[in-house]
This record gives sequence, structure tokens and C-alpha cells, in this order.
Amino acid sequence: MEDLLGSAGSILESTVRNATPLIFAALGGLFSERSGVINIGLEGLMLISAFSGVVGAHFTGSAIIGLFAALGAGLIFALIHALMCITFEADQIISGTAINLLAVGGTGFLMVTIFGSGGTSPRVNGFGSVTIPLLSDIPVVGKALFDQSLLVYLMYLLVPVVYFVVFRTTFGLRLRATGEVPEAVDTAGVNVQAMRYYGVALSGLLAAFGGVYLSMGLLTAFTENMTGGRGFIALAALIFGRWNPIGAAGAALLFGFAQAITFRVSEQAIPIEFIQMFPFVLTIIVLAGFGGRAIAPAAIGKPYRKE
Amino acid sequence: MSGSATQGNGSALGRIVSGILGPLVFPVIAILLSFIIGAVIVLATGNNPIAAYVALTEGAVGDPLALGRTLLYTTPLIFTGLAVAVPFRAGLFNIGGEGQVYMGAITAAWLGVLLGSLGPVEIPLVLAGSLLAGFLWGAIPGVLKAYFGAHEVITTIMLNYVGIYLAYYLANNPLRQKGPIPGTESIDYAARIPTIGGALGRANYGFFIAILAAIVVYLLLWRTRRGFELRAVGLSPGAANYAGMRLGVNTVLALAIGGSLAGLGGGVEILGVYGNMDVPWVVNLGFNGIGVALLGRNHPFGVVLGALLFGGLSSGAQEMQFVTNVPLELADVLLAVILLLVTATKLVELIVGKRARALAGARLEEGLGS
Repeated sequence: MEDLLGSAGSILESTVRNATPLIFAALGGLFSERSGVINIGLEGLMLISAFSGVVGAHFTGSAIIGLFAALGAGLIFALIHALMCITFEADQIISGTAINLLAVGGTGFLMVTIFGSGGTSPRVNGFGSVTIPLLSDIPVVGKALFDQSLLVYLMYLLVPVVYFVVFRTTFGLRLRATGEVPEAVDTAGVNVQAMRYYGVALSGLLAAFGGVYLSMGLLTAFTENMTGGRGFIALAALIFGRWNPIGAAGAALLFGFAQAITFRVSEQAIPIEFIQMFPFVLTIIVLAGFGGRAIAPAAIGKPYRKE
Repeated sequence: MSGSATQGNGSALGRIVSGILGPLVFPVIAILLSFIIGAVIVLATGNNPIAAYVALTEGAVGDPLALGRTLLYTTPLIFTGLAVAVPFRAGLFNIGGEGQVYMGAITAAWLGVLLGSLGPVEIPLVLAGSLLAGFLWGAIPGVLKAYFGAHEVITTIMLNYVGIYLAYYLANNPLRQKGPIPGTESIDYAARIPTIGGALGRANYGFFIAILAAIVVYLLLWRTRRGFELRAVGLSPGAANYAGMRLGVNTVLALAIGGSLAGLGGGVEILGVYGNMDVPWVVNLGFNGIGVALLGRNHPFGVVLGALLFGGLSSGAQEMQFVTNVPLELADVLLAVILLLVTATKLVELIVGKRARALAGARLEEGLGS
């Protein structure tokens, strides 16, 4: 029994670790998509931020400055996506794909330019585990939930905050309306393009937290392509969670749990590759309408032009 | 909306430019801006952009060996470019080229070993298998779109990873070779696509298979009834439906044909270049195929040109890194920037004027009925 509880605790702990970057990026994608801009560039935004954070921390020795460098990079590249999609009316899918490719090529280029070779960067100071007194003493769940990186605690706060902002504030109402009926928002005197810029900018900042958690929370170095598809899993979580912060976080936890048990079940029971494809298969199933269809914001993907 | 209120706003220069270049306005502007941005990046890292671009060009077409390498890199991009272009003509966006390549590749890696030592006769059989695997894999998002209403952009993205992991599962388990290295067994050299030879290095006849595929796609789209239907559905789904064309069938076919082209590309890579599938097998061909297709304006012959540009840049980058101090990843950055800019309607208007842009062709999305 002791043993079982102990392993439940460690599965929970690793579920939270796996889910954290997904939740940050999915919350980011939520702001962008709720405003009507598809962001399949989450993967690239995370990668660029993971790299920028390490560069910032490497040259200053400060994890906090690294975090701000990452937020800056995430914001800049998100704004490039916004400029292309909103102002220049480029195709949103293509712009997002380009951001992903730019992230892979750009970080590869800069790894060689800054650190002299590709592969893995030097180690930097990161956001290690901070034990919260009392809470971490709760049996089983305490250590799993409250002996984590500072960024994980930030994630705990962000999920309800994002929910509140999106569903209980004027800004949130306008954001959602911009993604559903931009004409009505325009008629009401709200600047549709500005709302979309805010949405995409927030997606860059939130994806940056996810990227920093990968390179400076889970690890303390940047490795090329270290996001490994997590941006797309976050996108899957967002859709599976029906563009709702609580739903997206729940989906990310489910995907994180699947990853967490990968190393505990024997190879013969479920091959690792099937667990890796689980989030994607599940998302396809809900998109096809089995178990209640996932419906995207109505005006998503279309540039808005004033009549 | 093309500029009734802005008569005369289009600059004379813009009109001349677009008059000459016509539909090439978008690609040419994207390529030029990308090279300018690339030059700024090279300058910022303390290198000489002119020297870098000279080395890049020499590395792409400077000698037969370089040219051979360019053809080697161009071949799979023609396939993945066509895999985007055909569905695009039917108003569908195939982001799933990557997964389709893996399905074609693992099928080739399997059949290539299974058929043993039939020699060259094996090649068409194996490639037919890859084509079929890609067709079936591509049909999945088609069916999900046509009969379940799931948007093909998201399902093809998700299917990329499903395809990659499925291929890895097969390569790691039932098809795994003996020994410590994960991956499938090597295919007999007699059953591989031969190199062209001469001074062209590793370039193989797969390039001509790709050219043949482009010609077949052209004939299919513009010389057959089915092709007419596909294009009609893409231009105006409502009208096509009214004319009795079945949207569902055409949707499934368009994505399945796209998948079969990417699958064939994966098979050609295995038989022409790799000889087996290692795990991990990283090629990143599907996403670059999107850029190739858009540069080529989703026309099969344009796709060939776009693939040559992308292949040439990747090939030349190696020489550039060798001769100058510029990392070869610059090529990836240039390609990404081209893709970023190639559909930027308003940016093109800003540069050549509205009327010129209108001459250059319709907005991208107008071809994409959803």
C-alpha cells in the first residue's frame, strides 16, 4: 500500500511536469484563437523562447533575466505572426508554419553563432524546485504538487486567471466576440485588429513561459528541437478542451498523465509510440464529432476588413 | 474589392513589374525580401553577405557535384510540393505531408526487404506500395472532412504525428533489424534506385520519377474530367455541387491523391537515398513542401521550380558554411522567411500597388473554399 501510494505520488508529480509546458502554450493558443487568429506556430514560439531564455541566463547568470529575454522573444515572434496575419492578411496557417520553420532554422543558426556548435547549449541557472511549507507535507499529493518549479506555481495561478479574464471581463467578452462575430464588435466601436493583436501577443508571452519551463525548469540547457512537438500537443489540448482554459488544462493533464505512465507500464503492454500518438488520435476523434463535437470560434482564420 | 476607390493608386513601376512577372509577383517579392533579410542577418553576425551568397550559389550549381546534390535535395520536395498543390486546387489544405512521407517510407522499407532480392523489378512494386500507403493515409482526413466535418488543416497536422509514431513503432518492433541499432533492415542494393552517375555524385533517378509525377499531375488536373471536377470544386464548391459533382468524393480523392504523392516521395527517399528507415528518421520534408507549393503557385511545373530553389538553397548552404563562417542553417531561415511572406497580400500591395497586385492574381484564400 505504501508502495502504491508512493508511485501514485510520483506519477502525479511527473504528470504535472509534463502538463505544465502544454498548459502554458495551450492558454496562449486560447487567447490567439479566441480572437480569431489560428496559431499553429505555438511550437516555434516555445522553441524560440526556450532558446532565448537560456541565452539571457547564460550571459547574465540570472534566470530572471533569462525569463524576460524569453518573454521578449516570444512576444516579438508572436507579433511577426500578428503582423503577417492581421495587417498583411497572409494566410494564418502558412504564417504559423513559417514561424515553426523559422524557429528551427533560427535557433540552429544562433546556436552555432553564439555557442560555437549545434546540439546542446552550456548549462545555465534555471528555475529549480521550491518546496512550499505545510502544503508539501500533505500525504501523497503534497510533494507532487507543491515541490515544483516556480513556473509550475505560476501555471496553477494562470489557469483560473485566464478563465476569469476570458469569461468574466469586458476584455474577454470583446476578445471572444472578435473571434465569433467581428462585424458586430466593429459596429460596437471596438477595434477588431487591435483585439487580435492583443490575442496573438498574449499567445507569444504564454508560449514563452512554456518554452522557458522546458529549457530552464525541466532542464537547465537548450537542446535543438527540444520542444519535440509539444506545441502541437498544446494545440491538441486546446481543441480537446474546446477552447476553454479549464478544459485545455484538463486535456493537458490527461496527455501529461499518458506520458507519465509510459515509463511505468512494460514495453509489451503498450508500446511507447502508441502513447505518444494518443493526444493526436484523441483530438482527431473529437474533431470528427464523436463524444460531442469540438467547434472552433466562427471567424477563425479569416482576415477582417472594414466595409 | 480591388481598388475601385484607388484608381491610379498603383505605381507605374508596380504595373510594369506585374505586367512582366504576372503571377510571379508574390513569389518574387517573397524571395527578394527573404534574401535582403538574410543579408542583414549575415552582416549582423560579422560576415560578408555577398561572399556568403556567392558561395551559396556555387554550392548549388557551381559544379556537377553541387548540381547533383541540388537534384538530390530537390527530388523529395517536388513530391511534397505536389502533395500540397493537388488538394489546394480542390480548395483543401494538406498540412499532413510529413506523416504521409513517413507512411510511404516505412512501406518501402518493409516491402523492399520483404520482396528480398528480385533486383530492379522490385523498384516499381515497392513504389506502388508507397503510393498506396500514402493514398490511404491521405484519404483519412478526406473522409473525416467530407463525412464528419472535421477541418482538414487540424486533422492533417494531428495525423503527421500519428504517422511518424506509427512508422517508428513498425521500424522498432515488427520490422526491426537484428543488432543494437534501432531501425529496419537494409534493402539490397540491386533493388535500390540507381544513381545517375557521371560527376553528379549521389543524385539518383528518383529526380526523373519526381518530374514524371509533376507531368502526370498536370495531365490529371487539366486534361481529365476528374481533374476538372477537382478544380471546379476548389473554385466554387456551390456551383460544382449544383452541376452534379459530388463534393464528398472529390474531397476524399483530392487529399488521397495528395497523400499518394507524398507517400511516393517517401518511398523514393528510402529506395534512392537511405536504403532503410532508422529511428529517429528526421527529414522535415512535409512542411517545406508547403513553401514549395506556394512559391510554385500550386501549379505542378511551378512546384518543380520551387523545389529546385529550395533544394538549391539547402545544397548551396553546405558549401557556404565550408567557405565562409556562415552556419548552413541560414538556408532554413531563408526558406522560412519566404514562406512567411509569400501569401502576405497587403505587403505585396504596399510594394507594387493595389492594381498591380490584382493583376498578379487573386488572394490565396479565394481558392480555398471551406
